[in-house]
Amino acid sequence: MRAHEGSAMDCVSCITPTRQDRPHTFFHHERAACPTCRETHEGRVVLRGDSPVRLLLCPTCGPSEEILPGTANAYVDGFLARGEVPEGFEGEIEFKETTSTCPSCLTLLPAKVVIREGRVYFKKNCAACGPSEALVSEDAKYYVRAYAFARAGTEPLKFATKVEHGCPTDCGTCNDHEQHTCLPIIEVTDHCNLECPICIVDNQYSNHIDLDTFARMIDTLVVNEGQCESVALSGGEPTSHPQILELVRIACRPEIGRVVVITNGIRLGKDRAFAKALKESGAYVGLQLDGFTADTHEKIRGRDLVKEKEAALAVLRELQIPTQIIFVATRGVNDDQIGKVVELFLSEDHFLSLNFQPAAYTGHGGGLFGHDAMDRLTIPGVVRRVDEQTGGKLKVEDFFPLPCSHPQCVSLTYLLRLEDGTFLPFSRFVDFTKHGSLLRSSATLPATPEMEQTLQDVLYDVYARQDEIERGPEILAALKRTLKVMFPDRPMTQKESLLIGEQQAKSIFLHHYMDRHDFDLERLRKCCHHYPQTDGRIMPACGFNMFHRGAAKGPGTQTPSWGKKPWVKENGTTRLSIVSS
Amino acid sequence: MTKLCEGHIALVTGGAKGLGRAIAVTLAREGAHVGFNWTKSEVEAKETLAEIEAHGVRGFSFRTSVLDKQGLAAAVKEMEGAVGTVDILVNNAGVSDVVPLALMDEDDWDRVMDTNVKGTFLATQAVLRGMVKLRRGRILNIGSLAGVKMMQAPVHYSTAKAAIKGFTESLAKEIGRYGITVNNLAPGVLEGGVSVNLPKGRLDEYLRHTALGRLGTFQEVAEMAAFLVSDRSSYVNGATILVDGAV
Repeated sequence: MRAHEGSAMDCVSCITPTRQDRPHTFFHHERAACPTCRETHEGRVVLRGDSPVRLLLCPTCGPSEEILPGTANAYVDGFLARGEVPEGFEGEIEFKETTSTCPSCLTLLPAKVVIREGRVYFKKNCAACGPSEALVSEDAKYYVRAYAFARAGTEPLKFATKVEHGCPTDCGTCNDHEQHTCLPIIEVTDHCNLECPICIVDNQYSNHIDLDTFARMIDTLVVNEGQCESVALSGGEPTSHPQILELVRIACRPEIGRVVVITNGIRLGKDRAFAKALKESGAYVGLQLDGFTADTHEKIRGRDLVKEKEAALAVLRELQIPTQIIFVATRGVNDDQIGKVVELFLSEDHFLSLNFQPAAYTGHGGGLFGHDAMDRLTIPGVVRRVDEQTGGKLKVEDFFPLPCSHPQCVSLTYLLRLEDGTFLPFSRFVDFTKHGSLLRSSATLPATPEMEQTLQDVLYDVYARQDEIERGPEILAALKRTLKVMFPDRPMTQKESLLIGEQQAKSIFLHHYMDRHDFDLERLRKCCHHYPQTDGRIMPACGFNMFHRGAAKGPGTQTPSWGKKPWVKENGTTRLSIVSS
Repeated sequence: MTKLCEGHIALVTGGAKGLGRAIAVTLAREGAHVGFNWTKSEVEAKETLAEIEAHGVRGFSFRTSVLDKQGLAAAVKEMEGAVGTVDILVNNAGVSDVVPLALMDEDDWDRVMDTNVKGTFLATQAVLRGMVKLRRGRILNIGSLAGVKMMQAPVHYSTAKAAIKGFTESLAKEIGRYGITVNNLAPGVLEGGVSVNLPKGRLDEYLRHTALGRLGTFQEVAEMAAFLVSDRSSYVNGATILVDGAV
């Protein structure tokens, strides 16, 4: 798959158009000299038409661009070849450069991306704190190959900030950001009923968002994006907000497909009336479920939650509330329970998607969570465990990088529901090099014209090869059903279309948020998971968590001088500026 | 110049006699291995098979209806096993009878619609998988001037031939991306065809409206068919091509 070829590579999950002012595929970051003052800065290589182009923003001389030699395809091939390790080679290969952070002082600094013993590491050297290394990927081949999946971003209808100082100071999103908002996450409270050792936020227990402010934020989202397939309500613990159902009702509007309440499930499990009201509101649940043992919960969530999680699962099952399971995976604590959560996910119809998040060691809790920056879980490590712990029911080869975000951020697989109720990964019968539009940032299949065309293409491919494909006739039957129900001969509302799409396939996503060890400015630039703020800014998630929210290394973390921290101090207390008093 | 259909494998439905035979034999002359099906015309089928093989290619004769899905599948399988994937299909099989609508039985309607339309669907489905797999193919449907223009023709026949035009256009759109073209060849009145049943007065009236002032022949239509299923006709798709001498 080429990074920039053909319409199949456009971001079909997004209704906003490919950038008209700057039609290109953002490929990667690379340091280069300003053509005027010759000072070295980090620049971007983008693929524009058939040419690779380097874009540079020099703080002194302003923006510049340079067309690089050769074709875009040749550039991509050459880039991928840099990551090829000769057979038997035992040393270290420098694959590329990027901008990361010093894990001690959070200063942005150049990082060498090196391949060693099949893994990828960042090597950095902070003038103040000295050298450091961090594991970035447990599978160098996956890491290198992922770049081939880069896809052109689309632009929001409106940007929130101007380009003044560059990324990440100008968050967000500024006109230089390379992707619009696929998944907005609105933090509706800074109260929580847990104190999770792994928590990436910094709860102040000071405020719940008020309804007017929240409604304004939703308005801003709709103005900027036109429509959103999904909006997540997070926190803190959003169910601790006294008006959470009102918030859901405000968010449930025609421009928004799904409203997902991200919760630890404690209130759901013990307050059936609330769970029922949530179901009736039309909300979806994003259930935090990191394991099944008391020990796991104690280490990750601070106390034994086995009974609470069982109660939450029971009420979700009883009320058939559409649910996404969110599993934060950390080495040596819960990585042995990955297979079990996959089996649970596949066993019940109301589970629509499963989201693995290899732990990011940032935030008030997570910044202090015990970890080894050189031996941690990354996306390939989680995928390998899925394969091993499900007995190959899902295989490593079933997972692909998500092209519309930065391809190192998310990996995914879709699972088609067969007529007997079992699920089969799309990768078993889809050639993603031909049907890249199936790799999208959405929990389920959307009823778009592009998807209809893609599914028809897939159907014909399977039809022609049905004897060679595992369960070929069953796949054909399922695809026929999917086409029939998703594209009936009558108009459907977005909501109806989503509900039908949800019954056809499930998805498993792996999203690796960044921390001070593996922060990569290149990834941040393409981020599509954003935190909307009350002032109209929409902050890319890892930039917000690392630099603007604060507490990247745990309590007391200094915010960089340029960080626009969204906390305000007032009357001796600190509170989120997103919360009006 | 090389032959038009060298190296290709064709199935012609209703190929034992009439226009079907002319097409089958012409494709054989142009180098294709040719199979055809029939249901009643045993004697004619033998003659057709001999004419095909006289061109030095493999010929296949199948006694099966276009409404027999299993029979068609078996025919395609046999050809695949012997000479390779069928990459040319000529949907020629068709029937008609002169019945005014007022007196038309449901059975009359069904018979014409089934053979002309459903038969086209079933035969196409029988070969389609192989063509998609090859990412190459030619499907030529034999329509009629009666499916395109207002003519004094039986209503069920005109309806069926108009359906073939719709079938052609929709299928061309659906499978064009696999390198398969689908076209509709619509002849006017031909010698030895429905013309034999036309009263002299109506035949004369028809001829008065033709620019060439005569009926067409099976061979004239077959020549166009051979071109349309050949590699040289690579950009004609979803089209209805009239071979009517200009009516």
